[in-house]
Amino acid sequence: MKSILIKFFAAMMLFAFAFSASAVASEHATESIKASTHQEETYKSQPMGDMVISFLKSTGIVALVHPRADEMSATGKPMSDFSKGLGRIIMILVTFLLFWLAIAKGFEPLLLLPIAFGGLLANIPIAGIGGPHGFLGVIYQAGLSNELFPIIIFMGVGAMTDFGPLLSNPKTALLGGAAQFGIFGTLVGAMVLAQMGLVDFTLKQASAISIIGGADGPTSIFIATKLAPELLGAIAVASYSYMAMVPIIQPPIMRALTTDAERRIKMTTLRHVSRLEKLIFPLLVLGLAILVLPESTPLIGAFMFGNFLKESGVVERLNDTLQNSLINITTIFLGLGVGSKLAADQFLVPETMFIMVLGIIAFGVGTAAGVLMAKIMNLFPGHKINPLIGSAGVSAVPMAARVSNKVGMEYDRTNMLLMHAMGPNVAGVIGSAVAAGVLISMFQH
Amino acid sequence: METNLIIEGVKFMFLGMGTVFVFLVVMIACMNIMSSIINRYFPEPQSSADATTASAQVNNKKIVAAITAAITHHREG
Repeated sequence: MKSILIKFFAAMMLFAFAFSASAVASEHATESIKASTHQEETYKSQPMGDMVISFLKSTGIVALVHPRADEMSATGKPMSDFSKGLGRIIMILVTFLLFWLAIAKGFEPLLLLPIAFGGLLANIPIAGIGGPHGFLGVIYQAGLSNELFPIIIFMGVGAMTDFGPLLSNPKTALLGGAAQFGIFGTLVGAMVLAQMGLVDFTLKQASAISIIGGADGPTSIFIATKLAPELLGAIAVASYSYMAMVPIIQPPIMRALTTDAERRIKMTTLRHVSRLEKLIFPLLVLGLAILVLPESTPLIGAFMFGNFLKESGVVERLNDTLQNSLINITTIFLGLGVGSKLAADQFLVPETMFIMVLGIIAFGVGTAAGVLMAKIMNLFPGHKINPLIGSAGVSAVPMAARVSNKVGMEYDRTNMLLMHAMGPNVAGVIGSAVAAGVLISMFQH
Repeated sequence: METNLIIEGVKFMFLGMGTVFVFLVVMIACMNIMSSIINRYFPEPQSSADATTASAQVNNKKIVAAITAAITHHREG
């Protein structure tokens, strides 16, 4: 009896399954008929030869040799045939040069490699990676056009900065101020070039270029995206490559402006700075920035936020994230986003050459101004300052301070200037943020 | 417009450098005031730091003694 029941159920199941399967199959069949009729509407059968030819037309080689007439630039404007063909090849070679500088010469590889690879991707024909719907374009829109990424980088830099050397010898902050002369001296230089008719930089563009003299990558990018986004690629590349070249650019200027006796000046040892001083300092500077120059508070506020978290000593996890993971992730996106501006139509313009020249002048003038300021300060009574630390007033933390130390050691092996040079170095970061705030505030109305 | 550009740049330079220096001078003054207030009214407890340096000195003396002993031993042997 039981076995009969089981057999009956089994037969029922089998029947039900077969029926449902056939129903599904018939549904599927109707669907596939629909799909094929739909396809026939858009896809026309072509002879094999035509298909091969149309495929060949979509290859990169053809697109580089015979640029498509309908291809638009990332900003949606028509491009010249040069910047669609040969220009792209030149730019790809330029990115290879940047790879070489970053890998073989160790020039700021953390930023130069993402920038260069972004540049390589942005110069691929047809794919439009740097365009509004390409991923580089999306990154640019997400964090660069609204100046978010440089601000996040500033938080990380703040968390890495120790204001102790500056607090123990406050007057060295003036050196960090003098070095900002590089910014404004270059601004005048760019205006002279414009006056002579060599280039037609507007005042906004000239300001964005001159901020290279602040020797501070995130500040340069912040200002460039705000004032002259069309020049961002050249400004960022100039800024980061010159920062990497600080050990080459600065020492000849430092030697030329100092005497042998000055280079041997030994500075008094730094006093101990209490934890409370370090904790209050970020709030103090932010308070001053709020009162004097609110335009500079995005940069200074982010910087001091990172520093405050570090000095508070109670949020080690957040401090660690700011210093490592967050700044690393943002650096990748910042580099790729800047790289999207290395597209041939935006980079291979005469302005780029002038930006490169003005950038190096800005660095040189800033270095010289810092050294000369130290010499002026030595005319006044008080503890003597070794003028070699003046060059560290251009930000470029901590590279510029290391250069001061290295040049000082060449003349006196026992003269350790590193910690003394960190004072003007971090003051330079504050100084360039203030200078950036001034430039922004002047274009507000 | 043409003749203005350089003068505009120079104006920017004076205003910019002026602001940077005023900001830094005020900052230096505030730093000095802050440091003197903190060091007068909220001095850092020095005892723990002294203790560690004192113990470090004792350690150093022990190490020096050990090294001299080793050297004399080496020379004698």
